[in-house]
Amino acid sequence: MFHLSQMDQIFLKSLADVVRTSRTTSQYDKLTFTTQTIADIKNEIQSRQESVRYQALLKLFFLAMEGNNIRWAEFQIINLMGSGDFQLKLGAQLAAHLVIDTQSQGLIMVTNVFQKEFKNGHVECSATLSCLGTIANKDLSDSLLPHVLKLTTNTKPLIRKKAIAVLSKIFTINPLNIPGNLEMVIQQLQKETNISVLACGISLFCSVMKVAPKLYPLFLSIVYDQISKQKSNWLLIKLVRISNKLISLEPRFQGKLIEHYTRLLNQTNSKSLQYELIYSIMKYFKNHSQLYESAGDILKQFLNHQDPNLRCLGLECLTHISSSAGLMEFQEQILESFKKSDYFSKLQILQLFKDFTNQQNFQTVIEFFIKYSDLESNHKIIESLIFIIMKDKFINVDDPEKLLLMYIPVIAQKIDTIDNAIRFKELLFELLTRVPGLKVYSDQLCNQILQTYAIQSDSLQGPTLNIVQRHTQLKYSLNHREIIFKSLIMIVGESVKLLKLEALTNIIKFLEQLNILNCYESSLSDIDSLLFKIYIQIIKTDPSNDLIPQIEQLIKNIYIKLHNISIVKISFFYESLILNKTKDQLDQLYNLYAEDLPPINLEAQKLIKPPEGLDITQSFQIDIEEIEKIKNSNNDQLEQKPIIQQLQQIESNQTEQEDQNTLIQKQEENEEELKPLNSKIDPIPKKVFTINRDEELPPGINQNDINKSKEEE
Amino acid sequence: MINFILMVNKQGQTRLAQYFQFLSVKERMTLEGELIRKCLSRNETQCSFLEHRGYKIIYRRYASLYFIIGMDLEEENEMAYLEFIHNLVETLDKYFENVCELDIMFNIEKAHYILEEMVMNGQIVETNKTQILAPIHVLDKAKDE
Repeated sequence: MFHLSQMDQIFLKSLADVVRTSRTTSQYDKLTFTTQTIADIKNEIQSRQESVRYQALLKLFFLAMEGNNIRWAEFQIINLMGSGDFQLKLGAQLAAHLVIDTQSQGLIMVTNVFQKEFKNGHVECSATLSCLGTIANKDLSDSLLPHVLKLTTNTKPLIRKKAIAVLSKIFTINPLNIPGNLEMVIQQLQKETNISVLACGISLFCSVMKVAPKLYPLFLSIVYDQISKQKSNWLLIKLVRISNKLISLEPRFQGKLIEHYTRLLNQTNSKSLQYELIYSIMKYFKNHSQLYESAGDILKQFLNHQDPNLRCLGLECLTHISSSAGLMEFQEQILESFKKSDYFSKLQILQLFKDFTNQQNFQTVIEFFIKYSDLESNHKIIESLIFIIMKDKFINVDDPEKLLLMYIPVIAQKIDTIDNAIRFKELLFELLTRVPGLKVYSDQLCNQILQTYAIQSDSLQGPTLNIVQRHTQLKYSLNHREIIFKSLIMIVGESVKLLKLEALTNIIKFLEQLNILNCYESSLSDIDSLLFKIYIQIIKTDPSNDLIPQIEQLIKNIYIKLHNISIVKISFFYESLILNKTKDQLDQLYNLYAEDLPPINLEAQKLIKPPEGLDITQSFQIDIEEIEKIKNSNNDQLEQKPIIQQLQQIESNQTEQEDQNTLIQKQEENEEELKPLNSKIDPIPKKVFTINRDEELPPGINQNDINKSKEEE
Repeated sequence: MINFILMVNKQGQTRLAQYFQFLSVKERMTLEGELIRKCLSRNETQCSFLEHRGYKIIYRRYASLYFIIGMDLEEENEMAYLEFIHNLVETLDKYFENVCELDIMFNIEKAHYILEEMVMNGQIVETNKTQILAPIHVLDKAKDE
């Protein structure tokens, strides 16, 4: 320790000086300034003059906020905690959390310091308790526990409150301190009237329940008592929160709380308390319809509120409604709030609908999200829509034709990411595999989606997927549009047999547009196989058709392009086919595309077991006749569906009326029957029902047999 | 449980930081920098709640200062903590009389003391402004005498 001379004190920098200098120092000189200041503080903090040490401490605080490491000052700060000057002591205690952690070795010295401080005035004692609450470790808390327990009975509520708050930390660090001590604290809290002390007590119970949940019976009476009479919103929030934990451990406690929750819900204007109550009711009180409905009304207000925080909290609450029927009730409000919400709230809403969309609201949900997608959230909306459509093998879809022709083209137009393009591709393949008749519409689908691809300039826009083709080592990049283009070309190729000549003509016209072959270079091999499938389909039935030269020209253009890209594989067979058109070559190609694809590779099947019930020798390709049958039956069904629904409604109305009529008849009959009996009623009625209290007899045994055996005994 | 309370200005400079679980200086600076960048990127139509690095973050902006609370993910009532931030600001305003960023910078120990009176061990212990400011008024009186 040293003593600063008067001259030195004049040049001593206060906190204000350091702050001003820091604000005016440039970034490049900051390091020099900080180093110099730390060097000054290291000297000043060892001074004998308390004012100098105090200023050094304040400057340390400031440097810590600036992001400088001040852990080197641990010993000095602990030393200052034992100072005679309260201001200095307080400053050191406030700075303790910046330098001391649970592993610090200096904590050993703190025990005696704190023990002395607990005997001082209430302001010093409370500051010490605050410091202990921040830096306590196992050893310190064990040694100071008796002192803290004594302080819980102090006359000052300030000390009692802080002592209980410190106890929650001590019990969490070392749960072995709980038995015996907790009961004492609970007894004191039962007589307590100060709200702050009670609030700390409830926090103590929450901490104890985390480490020792089986002690919950100790808290039940005091929590119930406080809920029934408290008016402070802060305390009520804590009480409702601890009640949630108690209900999960003791479900019978729920019944006791209904009356009080109803009263609080009707009386309070505090949004935070309303939110806490709604959250609790949505999670635990689903069986109590009146309370649930009241909470639902307030939840609807939250969802419609102008404040985005309340809307966000309302959505958070809805995640605890576990049934889709429950969500349907709030559907309108949720969709309205989606229009006003920010990105994160939109994600919340999308997640809700992913979990709870069903057949009833499927159409509404799809149409709404398609309409209200914006730039920021578009990719997430599309991802969610694809998920909802494909969920549980299209369980929500009752009209696949409408889905394919109305919704899927619109979704395809909105896709702008590769991930969504891949998901879309999977959706298409899965839908067409599960509903084979839909392949007939593949040309319409392509027209609706691909026409716009031809109009807009289509250089590689946006992020791309880089692929290396294994057999040619050719590298190419696909963007989202090209992924969709490839999948649609493949689908049309698989459906060529089902399409009429007009549809095939339209496809050829589309492909003839120059920029298609230029923009979709990576898909040339897919276009090429589609063209051959169409070529074979037409040439077999009508060799003189006008389309054939157009197809041949297209194929030539493709191979010119492929030659330019210098791939290894050059299809001599196809070139000679176009030039010569020999019957053998045509037959070979026809057979290639006409034969059924083997369902499963038998060699691979040796290693992987097929699913049960699947016949691997049977083809999964279906005849055209069968597809037509399915399509016709689908059409008939769709036409008859509204009629059937009407008939069902009429039937249900009729049955309802009949039921009502029978009820009325029965009532009248009963009244007539009772009339003569009523006149004969005795003043003392006889017993009609007997309660059978016998034990259940095993099958095959009679009560008489048992009675006989008893008599024999 | 509250894990930390921060007051950060728009330039990313921390004016007050109270951590209820020990973090190293490097971890604190990284966390504070990331949080203020996230808060600055949000506009007024967005809610004041977000998640970051396993914490639930509630923030509120007053002039150029962001008040940020980081809590455990299990904690539910974000609204109550948002109101607590307002309570804290009102308390500081009552003590400093039209509080501003400079008041906190030049009286950093007093700002910390007020915060310690309100929050202990990550739990809110007092919300009554008179009760919170009573000990600090006693200190000021003793200092004047």
